[in-house]
Amino acid sequence: MKLYVNGIEHDLETPPLESLLTALREELAITSPKAGCNQGGCGACTVIVDGEPRRSCLTPLAAIDGASVTTVEGLGADGALSPIQAAFFDHYATQCGFCVSGFMLAAHTLLEREPGAGRDRIIEGLAGHLCRCTGYVKIVEAVEAAARGDVDLSRDRDRESEFLTEGSQA
Amino acid sequence: MTHSTNVLVPQSPEEAVASFGDGAGITVVAGGTIVMPELSSGRLRPERALVLANAGLDGISAANGAVTIGATTPVLALVGATPEPLSTFAAYVGDYEIRSQATIGGNLCAPPGPESPRGDLQAPLLALGARIRSAGAGGERTEPVEDFLAGGEGRLVLAIEVDEPTSSGASAIGRPHAHNYTIMAVAAAAGADGVRVAVTGAGPRAQRLPSVEQALAGGADATAAAAKATDDVTPADDALASAWYRARMLPRLVEQALSQL
Amino acid sequence: MKAVGARLPRYDGLAQITGQVRYVDDVRVPGTLWAKALRSPHHFAGITKLDTGKAEAMEGVHAVITKDDVPLNVYGHLSALGVPGDEPLLAEDEVRYKGQPIAVVAAETEELAQAAVESIEIAYDEREPLFDMRKAFDADAAPIHPWGPVYNHFGPPDHRRIRKGDVEKAFADADVIVQGVYRPQAIEHCPLEPQTALVVPEADGRLTIYSCTQAMYFSMGVVAAHLQCPLNRLKFVGGTVGGGFGGKVDTATETVCALLAMKSKRPVKWRWTREEEFLASSTRAPWHMEIADAVTSDGWILGRKMLTLHDAGAYTRFSSYGLTKHAFHHTGAYTIPNLNFNGYVVFTNRVPTTAMRGFGVTSVSYAAEMHMNRIADVLGLDPFAVRLKNANRIGDLTGNMVRLKDPSTVAVMLAAAERIGHELPAELRGMTNEPRTGELLPEHLKASVATNGSED
Repeated sequence: MKLYVNGIEHDLETPPLESLLTALREELAITSPKAGCNQGGCGACTVIVDGEPRRSCLTPLAAIDGASVTTVEGLGADGALSPIQAAFFDHYATQCGFCVSGFMLAAHTLLEREPGAGRDRIIEGLAGHLCRCTGYVKIVEAVEAAARGDVDLSRDRDRESEFLTEGSQA
Repeated sequence: MTHSTNVLVPQSPEEAVASFGDGAGITVVAGGTIVMPELSSGRLRPERALVLANAGLDGISAANGAVTIGATTPVLALVGATPEPLSTFAAYVGDYEIRSQATIGGNLCAPPGPESPRGDLQAPLLALGARIRSAGAGGERTEPVEDFLAGGEGRLVLAIEVDEPTSSGASAIGRPHAHNYTIMAVAAAAGADGVRVAVTGAGPRAQRLPSVEQALAGGADATAAAAKATDDVTPADDALASAWYRARMLPRLVEQALSQL
Repeated sequence: MKAVGARLPRYDGLAQITGQVRYVDDVRVPGTLWAKALRSPHHFAGITKLDTGKAEAMEGVHAVITKDDVPLNVYGHLSALGVPGDEPLLAEDEVRYKGQPIAVVAAETEELAQAAVESIEIAYDEREPLFDMRKAFDADAAPIHPWGPVYNHFGPPDHRRIRKGDVEKAFADADVIVQGVYRPQAIEHCPLEPQTALVVPEADGRLTIYSCTQAMYFSMGVVAAHLQCPLNRLKFVGGTVGGGFGGKVDTATETVCALLAMKSKRPVKWRWTREEEFLASSTRAPWHMEIADAVTSDGWILGRKMLTLHDAGAYTRFSSYGLTKHAFHHTGAYTIPNLNFNGYVVFTNRVPTTAMRGFGVTSVSYAAEMHMNRIADVLGLDPFAVRLKNANRIGDLTGNMVRLKDPSTVAVMLAAAERIGHELPAELRGMTNEPRTGELLPEHLKASVATNGSED
């Protein structure tokens, strides 16, 4: 079994009927996809497989031999944030953060399918994902902003976060 | 939890049929949305698994007024590309990700869930008088969907054939969210041999409503025919809704579906 | 003052959106074993046989624990406050809820651990379970605990009570008695991160405990108590919680993992499945609330009698604390001069209940507000008017004898009326929070203000 995960080729030892989620988390130690329910109900394990969002817990490895897989670790280019990541950060679309990787990957592919998607399409596109903290308002706002292209990618969020850490220590 | 399973990944329909053989001891994995949780939890520990992802059993084609749908065609691909009411019913299933992963063949073969009915595409397939081509013991055969569902397990679905109806209707109890199976939905289709009506969510499997169909054939209007719906089914309580609620909603759904014909 | 009023980035925001936050299940320690539990398939039963021999003999199984492996098996979540414990970490001679853990296995793989669990020989003597707290409270109901149907450490008496003023006189003076029964049901917290712990035995004899607890030092105390070890043997690593909402104060997995790690001398992880979360993790409590209010025909509430039953499930956990908070809030945002409140923590064969957002208070807020609507309905009055009339005001005295300094009921009700465009008569529109005095002081409140007016 072979997978290209975030651009890197991996030969896998995980048995072929195991889920993609198990292979990512247990063999490759890529832990952003979460085992929230392991039965396709929550969306926390969603990753991108050959350009499409998929529940990795429902996907047997044998069905995707040779596929390209993207997780949030591989979402931005050259260490920069992708627009959807920046939008989630700027709009405070996370609380506990457990569901956020699935939401961002679903939103990312939604905006590739439907650039400029409006509020109703966004809600429909994210309908399979559960968040128990935010009440979804900030998540939808973040995706709406990304759909409008209203994301400032030139901001240095690394420095902003450092500033906050220094400030809180002072 | 699948270390001891022999996993077969056929690369063509012929290879899939050969690998399936008579179906003994084999678990078919099409989209995986129903079977993967069973495998991952260890509740299902098959000797052999047949993964159909690369078997070339997907695709939709039309010829002579009939539409042929490959068994592993994703539910998402049915939306807008297959006859009504199948197309509308396909849009009721799960969310975008589940629809793009789940297959029509898997939905057709879905056993009743432990807490709720599932296999909600069975109703429109019954209404459309679908024909099921399958392989297994005794070789390939094509049969009406009622016979296939009654014959039950042990067959490998290859393709599903439906005719364009002259008119159709679909009515469903809206799901509270995309994580639910459909609570209850009614499909109706009119063709050369009259009107067929079927319901999903009123029993463990989808079923036709012969009393409604006979009333319509006898000249009853939609309301009068719909009132007969509860003669044919005995809804049960489950995690999604009570029998009481279903029994009261069923005639309304039937009437709505019939009014669209 | 760089932070106040500023829109600052979340300090962990970047880590969250790049997948770098490490939740317990994301921690990787080589050689980690998986834990799986044998849970009761029955709601209520005696255990007549328990033999883990076959499981222990399986290759790849490194430890099996039962009640006999726990230094202090029966403990209580409120033991630190002096409340006697009533809940075994692992079931003793009886199981009192479906899903209660009886034995736990640590093995090389999850699959093997599950197979070992299935090999444990166990037999039960099934009993008739009780699911309804109201029926459990009946005098002839067979109690599920030897000490009876209710938690009896408020004591004496065996319930939480509030007495204020002369409630019998209020009922004698009333124009109408308005009664209602309110029964909000259990709610599963359902955080997306299931209960998970990873415990690593260290070379110096200490245990490193990766925990998803909402209450680090509390959980540390619970583990130390069960293990009967000093706190300095435990190093808790936590603070990263994938949602809790109250359900992760229960220290559900840490102690068992610690015991398995000590016995197997290997790191052990226990991650509940979603099914286990729904089957066996604690829930918000169901409540049974009976309210009778003595009211005047113009909408003053003279007195309230209330009976509350709090469904603890099979064991106390934090129930007595939740009921106490409930009692303090049982008049809602309103002042009622004469009170008689009795609240009981009742045991049933349901999963133990616990904290959830607004523990003990949301239930009574629901009941109190529904009851205000009912009073308005019975009297044919505007529900806003009934609420404003009885609203908490500065200087009012609550049921638990707190003199209110800055209650917000009036402001909130007026703002709510304005937002929904609800017309109020001028005398209500002009209401303020100020103390009721002179002509504004209704007859029935005079005694309470006069008695307690000089406290501050």
